[in-house]
Amino acid sequence: MTRRLATLIAPVVFLLALLYAWTLAADAKLVNPLWFPGPERSFAKLGEWIATGALWSPLASTVWRMLAGWLAACAVGIALGAAIASSPLARRLLQPSAEFLRPLPASALLPPAILVLGFSNAMIVSVVAFGCVWPVLLAAIHGFGALDARLVEVARLLNFTPWQRAWKFQLPSALPHIFAGMRVSIAIALIVTVASEMLSSQPGIGYLMLVAARAFRSTDIFAGIIVLGALGFLINYGTQRLEGRLLRWR
Amino acid sequence: MGAAFPLAVLALWELLSRGGVLAEDGFSRPSRFFVAGAKALADGTLLAQTAQTFGAAAQALVIATVAGVTVGAILGLFRPLERAAQLTIDALRPIPSVALIPLSLLIFGFSREMSAAVAAFACFWPILIVTTAAVRGVDPRLIEVGRLLAFPLPKIVLKLALPAALPGILVGIRVAAGIAIVVTVTTEIVTNPRGLGYAMTMAAESLQPDLVWATLLWVGVVGWAANWALEKLPIRR
Amino acid sequence: MLEARGLSVSFGAQPVLRDIDLTVAEHEFVCVVGPSGCGKTTLLRALAGLTPISSGSALFKGRPVIAPQTELAVVFQDYARALLPWRTVAGNVALALEARNIPASDHAARIAPLLAKLGLSGDGDKFPSQLSGGMQQRLQIARCLAQEPEVLLMDEPFGSLDAITRQQLQDEVARLAKEEKRTVLFITHDLEEAIYLGDRVIALARVKGNLAGRIAEIVDIALPRPRQQLATREDPRFLQYRHRLFRHLE
Repeated sequence: MTRRLATLIAPVVFLLALLYAWTLAADAKLVNPLWFPGPERSFAKLGEWIATGALWSPLASTVWRMLAGWLAACAVGIALGAAIASSPLARRLLQPSAEFLRPLPASALLPPAILVLGFSNAMIVSVVAFGCVWPVLLAAIHGFGALDARLVEVARLLNFTPWQRAWKFQLPSALPHIFAGMRVSIAIALIVTVASEMLSSQPGIGYLMLVAARAFRSTDIFAGIIVLGALGFLINYGTQRLEGRLLRWR
Repeated sequence: MGAAFPLAVLALWELLSRGGVLAEDGFSRPSRFFVAGAKALADGTLLAQTAQTFGAAAQALVIATVAGVTVGAILGLFRPLERAAQLTIDALRPIPSVALIPLSLLIFGFSREMSAAVAAFACFWPILIVTTAAVRGVDPRLIEVGRLLAFPLPKIVLKLALPAALPGILVGIRVAAGIAIVVTVTTEIVTNPRGLGYAMTMAAESLQPDLVWATLLWVGVVGWAANWALEKLPIRR
Repeated sequence: MLEARGLSVSFGAQPVLRDIDLTVAEHEFVCVVGPSGCGKTTLLRALAGLTPISSGSALFKGRPVIAPQTELAVVFQDYARALLPWRTVAGNVALALEARNIPASDHAARIAPLLAKLGLSGDGDKFPSQLSGGMQQRLQIARCLAQEPEVLLMDEPFGSLDAITRQQLQDEVARLAKEEKRTVLFITHDLEEAIYLGDRVIALARVKGNLAGRIAEIVDIALPRPRQQLATREDPRFLQYRHRLFRHLE
């Protein structure tokens, strides 16, 4: 009983101890207080944002851009991946290009995207989608191509049409791979969204933080970090739960 | 075969640009940006910028490796501590690295350290997680041998646990190396006036689309080559 | 019902089966026995339309079998690979109903009796990974029956099960085949299993030097039904059949 209690409490104590260390370091002015407010001031700032409602509009912009780009990338990646996997010719033709573009930093697309699309929402969503598409695409190519040979025969024996085969066999068998790709992608989506906002001065959490940095308002920066950390945590948790439900059979 | 598709895209791009379908002030055209790229390569600016980017990424990797391996080894050796730290790790790890750009800018100003600090944060987590798992997976017999020989703890860690965990740790560092380059370029594009990222931002702001596309292509080639080299490293799990 | 006429199969230059002539009558239970590598499985796959025939023909009701058809169901040995891991037990059975375009509203009423017949009642909502090997093979058989095939082609279906489970399933398959009036072609390398189950046993052997399989002997099994694990196997005639066929397995 006491052991179980200890395993439950120890993580909380550890986290609180770290927060306390942060407080002590800030109070002792170990680091320049200009850069380094204590946790109470940072969380107070966050509370103020919530109380005045100043948080919601930029947060909504950031989340919207992130989700729009990510969902577009998922749709394109899955559809394209299925098509490429079903044709050996398309695979030989396109997979090397996809492998080449995968390690390209998504944010590197920002300067040309700004030239072509200007400073706009569409520009950010496009760059986010471009950055997110590769993990999903490559996972889908792999997943759709990886159907067990025995199940291919089962599908043949039951005389399923190619469409039915794709829907009933290949998609579900590819789903674990695709989910893994989508989880990598949404982390990229958040990073690229915030980076885009910082660069293009479009209202959002990223822009909010960069403005704060220029004005040396470090509490705003820390409040922003807390918000983005919470957002990242929620995304992780949400996708994990969703994956657990949809891939219950694993 | 794999080159056919990109070549076709470039050819179509050139045609559409000459036909006036793609606006030249945004899309430039392949014949122009290959010339711009060759010029930037020849006068050394592109190589200097590449060195700046890779320097910051390397610094980030070193910092993240030292920190990640140290903390990971401690957590891997002491299970109760690992369990206690899990919540904190789960709370800090999801912070997107770019969220630290403003803070890093405030602390380090425009400098290599500014990029390196942000990239090191991003690289720290994979190294930490892999090291923790690898050290935890070390045969407990090996640690017992150290105890029997009355080695002090640091010696057990340095002489026995870390060498045994090394293959796993190297896999983590390889993953982190790729992340280091991506995050460094991102910091340069967003604020830091150094390296390949800034070269692109600068070219875009001074309305030199040919240089933007040339640098992007170069970033792609360099990133792909670095990735290829990392995968060729004789590292096995 | 099912026929092979001068059927030969080669993989490239390598002959696998040569000049196979056999007939399986309606409602007959025919076992094919032979040493490993004699082409048993290839024979079944050729009759199912899964493996192309080099010369001669496979006929179902007098029509050549060129591609798989739902009237011919195949039970594979590796049941774990032949089931859809992402579908429940009931969902796996439903797959065969979907192949026959039976409306979803009728599925439940058709699946329940099949599961009951194979001792899977109460497991309908489980996933294959939650079942034992024997239960997974029962599920594959249930799916094949849901196909309402005229012929069941069984490829060493009990080869990877433990001895006790194997005996249980032998008796159940024998009972189901007679109750449901199915025609069965059953491949095995276990001579006793072949004699115990079959109305007729076809011994396949490899031609010396050439390595292709051909029919060595066909024996009618005149043992009374229903057969019993102890009594039937101790019947003097059972032992005679065993002696007679044993030499082909060496």
